[in-house]
Amino acid sequence: MTMLSSVADRLYWMSRYLERAEDTARLVAAYNHLIMDIPRGSEPPWDIMIRILDAEQAFEERYRTVSEQNVIKLLIADTHAPCSIPFAIKSARENVRTTRDVLPEDAWELVNELHLYVAESAKSSVGRRNRQTFLAEIIARCQMINGLLLSTLSRDHTYRFIKLGRLLECADMGTRVVDVGAGDILDRAGSRAAIDPLLWGALLQALSATSAYRREVGPIVEQDDVVNFVFAQANFPRSVKFCIAGIREELTPLRNNENALRAINRLRRRLGRLGKEALTREELHAFIDEFQLQLSALHQSISDAWFRTDGS
Amino acid sequence: MTKGWKGYKAGGFYDDLITDKGSPRTAARQALRLLQSLPEEDMDSRRQSADLAIREMGISFTVYTEGGNIDRAWPFDIIPRIITGREWAQVSRGLQQRSRALNCFIHDVYNQQRILADGIVPADIVLDSPNFKAPCVGMSPRYGAWAHICGSDLVRDQRGRFFVLEDNLRVPSGVSYMVENREITKRVLPELFENYSILPVDDYPLKLYETLAQLSPRQRRRPTVVVLTPGIYNSAYFEHAFLAQGMGAELVEGTDLFVDSDDCVYMRTVDGPARVDVVYRRIDEEFMDPEAFRADSVLGVPGLMRAWKQGNVAIANAPGAGVADDKVIYAYVPDMIRYYLGEKPLVNSVPTYLCMREKDRDYVLANLPKLVVKPANESGGYGIMVGPHSSKTTHREFARLIEKDPRNYIAQPTLSLSTAPTYVDGQIEPRHLDLRPFILQGRDCWVTPGGLTRVAMKKGSLVVNSSQGGGSKDTWVVEGKA
Repeated sequence: MTMLSSVADRLYWMSRYLERAEDTARLVAAYNHLIMDIPRGSEPPWDIMIRILDAEQAFEERYRTVSEQNVIKLLIADTHAPCSIPFAIKSARENVRTTRDVLPEDAWELVNELHLYVAESAKSSVGRRNRQTFLAEIIARCQMINGLLLSTLSRDHTYRFIKLGRLLECADMGTRVVDVGAGDILDRAGSRAAIDPLLWGALLQALSATSAYRREVGPIVEQDDVVNFVFAQANFPRSVKFCIAGIREELTPLRNNENALRAINRLRRRLGRLGKEALTREELHAFIDEFQLQLSALHQSISDAWFRTDGS
Repeated sequence: MTKGWKGYKAGGFYDDLITDKGSPRTAARQALRLLQSLPEEDMDSRRQSADLAIREMGISFTVYTEGGNIDRAWPFDIIPRIITGREWAQVSRGLQQRSRALNCFIHDVYNQQRILADGIVPADIVLDSPNFKAPCVGMSPRYGAWAHICGSDLVRDQRGRFFVLEDNLRVPSGVSYMVENREITKRVLPELFENYSILPVDDYPLKLYETLAQLSPRQRRRPTVVVLTPGIYNSAYFEHAFLAQGMGAELVEGTDLFVDSDDCVYMRTVDGPARVDVVYRRIDEEFMDPEAFRADSVLGVPGLMRAWKQGNVAIANAPGAGVADDKVIYAYVPDMIRYYLGEKPLVNSVPTYLCMREKDRDYVLANLPKLVVKPANESGGYGIMVGPHSSKTTHREFARLIEKDPRNYIAQPTLSLSTAPTYVDGQIEPRHLDLRPFILQGRDCWVTPGGLTRVAMKKGSLVVNSSQGGGSKDTWVVEGKA
């Protein structure tokens, strides 16, 4: 089956945007749970989500004060900020609109309905009362779309580039959450040992990793175990290691894959070195920073090899 | 019962569903019985579910305005239009005949030019027309087919007779809406289908694929067909995607294709260049290839004409086919049918006055309030004057335009377009209709059963174009007794 480079490009981005919308919804939902469980005053600041999503600039352009209202407004109701759920869904929809011909018939309808739902409900979901319902609906609908694609797409290029986009986004989000989330927890180390498990628990929840962690590692949530789980657990489908392995699997049969394979192998080697010894906060941050750079190099090599339309 | 069914009057026009005396036409009887039995609220909730279905299916079209492009939901009326199989069979034969003659004409003017030499069609109106494309001279596409996809606009007069108003041979659009309209009716009025056998319309993409595949220069089991779109901002983008998906073809923009030094067309794929056999272009030929036509086009594919002339790729519709899509040429179609086929035209054309002829022009200028005046070379219903609905100032303005450039204007008697009951603002009222069937011409000729019915949603209006507030209806061709 032939696949136009321009179509591969759009599929990849459709998938990244859908994953981004879902992950952002999980992140906000997890934080929401956390603030209700934690003693007032010990919660991480609201802007932690802004930092995780690298959205400082978009936030500062719109708001002066960091408040629940402003942060939530930006993340779930703003239609123009690239970090927002409506923006991700609008972008996913635009990409589906231009790739309808390679997707299952229902894909367009589902994505379009999701877009309509967000357009109608986002504004009224900023307040705490409707927020959780809204986020749960976003997550459910994204999963429905993923389920449709997973269960109906032939395992050809269409599926391949969708999978590449989703896994890359998922790995990216996982590393961001650990970087900023763990950073926040470690910065306050010792001072509030009683709430640390709640914070690490929220971090797992933001990655939908709670029950998998419990079964694999046990009920006790601790820094090294959590970091190891998120990065290096081989069987959990949202772990960074699992994503990297999946990306490698899809890159292997593609033509012209030398650079991308080189990039993915660098990432694998780096992951392999993790967990040999406990990391300090600084070491963890440096590790993730480097890892993020290599992820973006991987994206670049994928884009160069298969999406460019100028050369032939 | 919804307001307006009782005492429904088409007011002297032919109505497709209800006779002058107010009784249902035979084919419409069952459908009307059901529709009239629906309580008012029910009718309204069906209309709402249709709107919802349209939004969810994302059926839209783009309107260009000064404020930018707006993506509008497709306007749809839930009451179907019903035509009997017997009536349709005759129209369909007439359309096939027309398509054959038009293709003979295009082929002739780019080759021997017999019809010009024999003086049946004046040579200057063909050869001086901007639609005559010199680079196409001497070309001989397979089966002599140039206009592979034709959308002809039909109307019905007071007696219900069908007339062809124009033949769109360049990039006719609307067929996806024909298919989707049926899909919507199935969703919102499923009971209507119980007592009818209605000819299906959803096999159009398949028929289109068969027609296009026949044109492939390489003999392969599954030739590579692409749909060439100007892009997402084109008003018919929805349709381009719809057809590509329906045919399992690639939807490409100009930048996805290139012509290599072997004069073959390739698309850029993740596996490297892949050869293309057939290009279904939904882009005007002017923009198709900056090497051959407009150099400033960024939508086209440099070298596409070269590849076509070398016979390395088929293009549908063939470049140059637009030479027969001209309201002046239209006046000669009955002559073409007699000339090329030796047959009598089976479907009527509208009497047409050519302003370039002095006698016709005098008549037109003296009778502007009675006539419809159209520019020869515009589409989408732009630049038209409907005499009876226009002011004296407009009449004077058109008189000036005609005198300045008579070749560019034709006039026709104002036709009384047929009507059908339409649900408007909570009431049933008659609204004027036209019909655009699609004719496919490859080795064989095939006509859609029915076509796209467009409705002028404003009371008394004859303008059906969706860009100007027109709506549409599902169109049924029904077999046997209903």
